[in-house]
Amino acid sequence: MNYPLWQLGFPGGLLIALIAVVHVFVSHFAVGGGAYLVLLERKANRDNDAGLLDYVRRHSKFFALLTLVFGAVTGVGIWFTIGLVSPEATSSLIHTFVWGWAIEWVFFFVEITAALVYAYGWDRLDRASHMAVGWVYFVAAWASLFIINGIITYMLTPGRWLQNHEFWSGFFNPTYWPSLVIRTGMAVVLAGMFGLITGPGLASPVRERVLRYAGSWIVLGTLFLVLPARWYFADFPAEAKTYFAFLLPSMRRVIDLGVAAAALSLILALVFAIAKPAWLRAPVVAVILLCGFVVMGTGEYTREVARKPFVIGNYIYSNDLRVANLPHIDEAGFAATAKWMDRQPSDPLREGRQIFAIQCGACHSVNGYRAMAPRAHGWDPAFAADALQHLPLMRGTMSPFAGNQQDRVAVATFLASLSPTGSEQAATAAELGRQVFQQRCAMCHTLKRKFRPLDLGGTDADSIDGMLQQLDSLNPEMPSFHGTEAERKALAVFLQSGATAN
Amino acid sequence: MSNLIPLPTPDPMPLPGPVWLMLTLLLVTLLLHLVAMNLTVGGTAIALICGLRRTKDAFAGRLADDLLRVLPVSLAFTITLGVAALLFVQVLYGNLLYASSILIGAFWIAVIPTLILAYYAIYYSKSRPGRGGALWLSLVLLLGIGFVYANNFTLMLTPQRWLQLYRQSTTGVSLNWGEASLIPRYLHFMLGAFAIAGLGVFAAGAWKRSTEYGRWLLLQGSQWFVLPTVLNYAVGIWFLFALPRPVLMNLFVGGWLAPALLGIGMLLPLAAIVHALLAARTEKVVANARLAVAATVLTLIAMIGVRQMVRAAYVGSFVNLSELPVHSQWSVIALFLVLFVAGLVTVYLMLQKTWKGVDQRTQASRAASGD
Repeated sequence: MNYPLWQLGFPGGLLIALIAVVHVFVSHFAVGGGAYLVLLERKANRDNDAGLLDYVRRHSKFFALLTLVFGAVTGVGIWFTIGLVSPEATSSLIHTFVWGWAIEWVFFFVEITAALVYAYGWDRLDRASHMAVGWVYFVAAWASLFIINGIITYMLTPGRWLQNHEFWSGFFNPTYWPSLVIRTGMAVVLAGMFGLITGPGLASPVRERVLRYAGSWIVLGTLFLVLPARWYFADFPAEAKTYFAFLLPSMRRVIDLGVAAAALSLILALVFAIAKPAWLRAPVVAVILLCGFVVMGTGEYTREVARKPFVIGNYIYSNDLRVANLPHIDEAGFAATAKWMDRQPSDPLREGRQIFAIQCGACHSVNGYRAMAPRAHGWDPAFAADALQHLPLMRGTMSPFAGNQQDRVAVATFLASLSPTGSEQAATAAELGRQVFQQRCAMCHTLKRKFRPLDLGGTDADSIDGMLQQLDSLNPEMPSFHGTEAERKALAVFLQSGATAN
Repeated sequence: MSNLIPLPTPDPMPLPGPVWLMLTLLLVTLLLHLVAMNLTVGGTAIALICGLRRTKDAFAGRLADDLLRVLPVSLAFTITLGVAALLFVQVLYGNLLYASSILIGAFWIAVIPTLILAYYAIYYSKSRPGRGGALWLSLVLLLGIGFVYANNFTLMLTPQRWLQLYRQSTTGVSLNWGEASLIPRYLHFMLGAFAIAGLGVFAAGAWKRSTEYGRWLLLQGSQWFVLPTVLNYAVGIWFLFALPRPVLMNLFVGGWLAPALLGIGMLLPLAAIVHALLAARTEKVVANARLAVAATVLTLIAMIGVRQMVRAAYVGSFVNLSELPVHSQWSVIALFLVLFVAGLVTVYLMLQKTWKGVDQRTQASRAASGD
């Protein structure tokens, strides 16, 4: 524990997510919108279309107002938040990539100047110069995307950087190129979506021209993204692929949601922007934008989950602990070496609450987001302390517990206090068996599904009961069975009956 | 291991560039950021004052409108330049700054929505020049942001006070009230902001000296520069003596550089004041204006140097930059420098085109109105 924990009561990553998704929604538009504006301006100049030119002019002011203020400051907001939530990882990123960020900064500087000149220089520059400034803006904006993409993808797949710690190895890492293609595609889609905001209020025939143009960007961008998306996912870390395959059913739903949103926006754009622009109203635009937001959000969320249990792959865990430091912490103790903890070694509950907040709070609340209280239902301290030794087995997305036996006992005491049993009595032995399975086995085993199935329907209950008494010698990765004899026997019967209700 | 001072260990990775280079870039970008911030915050205050005087003084109304056109741009550059400084201060002093940021975390994160609100309030004021309501909001919010910054950048200097602050609030609902130099430091910067904005108005007046408006700007600007600068002598002395004794000893007994810089920083404003007054009240406008601005710029450079030396004196027992391992990424640094120059050239060309365009428009409108 190098830095103090910023205690929010919920995982700080949620705050990062909120600010970051809002930012990328606007910033990708800021990139694509640059090309959108200039190409539309060129079209208006070539066709001598005063109405269209007037639209581009107004859209450029809206553009500057949104991207310069909201886009830029939310970007700084990400900076602020990651430093507060994951200072160790932020420090590492800065030490590796500060010059990359300095280069990105040069592009921001050019981008902002160009945006201001473009938005406010319509009457001051001749047509050719004005368009040139627009292109300068777009190139600078895309260049800044080029840079930040390196850093974000490095976090997921550091590649050879893990061996050589070289900037270029980390920057041009295994997921760099597919991610760059995808983000460029998203920039095109979002440029079209935001183009719909300022379009509907126009008078015909400019209205139809603008809406069709914007709609075509949405359609072409979306169709383009199908193959790069598959390419990107193919380069994910191996563990991540198992998360999406069957370990985390919730991820399947997230991905399906993203795909559905993309499909919906594609259909809406085809119908309301291209085929029948007369039908396009503000609510449709709002839905399309929402779809864009959902696609962006699910995409970013998927990558975040894929990266677990790390914030920097195989280097720093999601709870900001360095992989290399764990052996030392395991030996010397976590609480003993935690600089900022309010130590009370004689009060394991209090120590456990703090250790939990520091090590587990990055992903778990007590009550609320990914709450531990319901998950620890029925846990006793002995079981909890045992389970803490096998966290990555329980969930590949979890980092190992860092600390010694004393730390484990403290956290176990805390976890067991969250949701003790005794309050509900099982009506039948079958009920009891199911209850015990839910509380003691279900976090690592399913009965008949893909994830570590326990298909013991053919074995007799007495043999199962015998196995339950020697779990840790059966498999050193497993905790022993900590429960009463009655519970154990009920569990054996439950497993033998091969009950499918899970 | 002492639990009283929970000093985070610096990153195990070496610095990716030589200390002298990163420190220079830090100080240069910080100076530029502070100038832009001064023009923005001071400019907002001046725009407010002029807005209130609008009905009695037409030139005041005109300046308010001119400033409202400039403020969104100056705020954009304040933020951009601040990002650069924030980058380099994190590489060099990250183990101090991340900790202090967390300790005042609730206020630190509040800077972001506050800034967005202040920014949009300026745009709103620009679109409705007659009314000052939103501009008041901007000014208060910007001053608030400055106060949070003063808290963070002083708290990072005193690890010995961190644990006590953390016990009070782990959510970062804390400020660095225990720091004696906090208030004078903040006032010194904010008075300075007003003064520099005044100097900006003064310089604009010198540029337009052939018009009545320009001469009004010269006079008003010189007053807005001179008065806060004079006050800042008192605040500055308060700031100086609010510093901890060991820091003062280190600076003034330790070597010659700090006293020299401080001496320059205290003498040059006198020259700036004199030349500003001469420019406003005599015929020798250009020469005096140039000297006033040059003396002020040199003052700021000296002061930014003193500020860094004060920081080094505060944290000397905790952080020694020269002891940090270095492994320079020369290829990336070279690429950065090349792109930086290319970026400057591109910006210059764009602005040059814009100014030429402005000139042509002004000439055209003058020709049209028979000016």
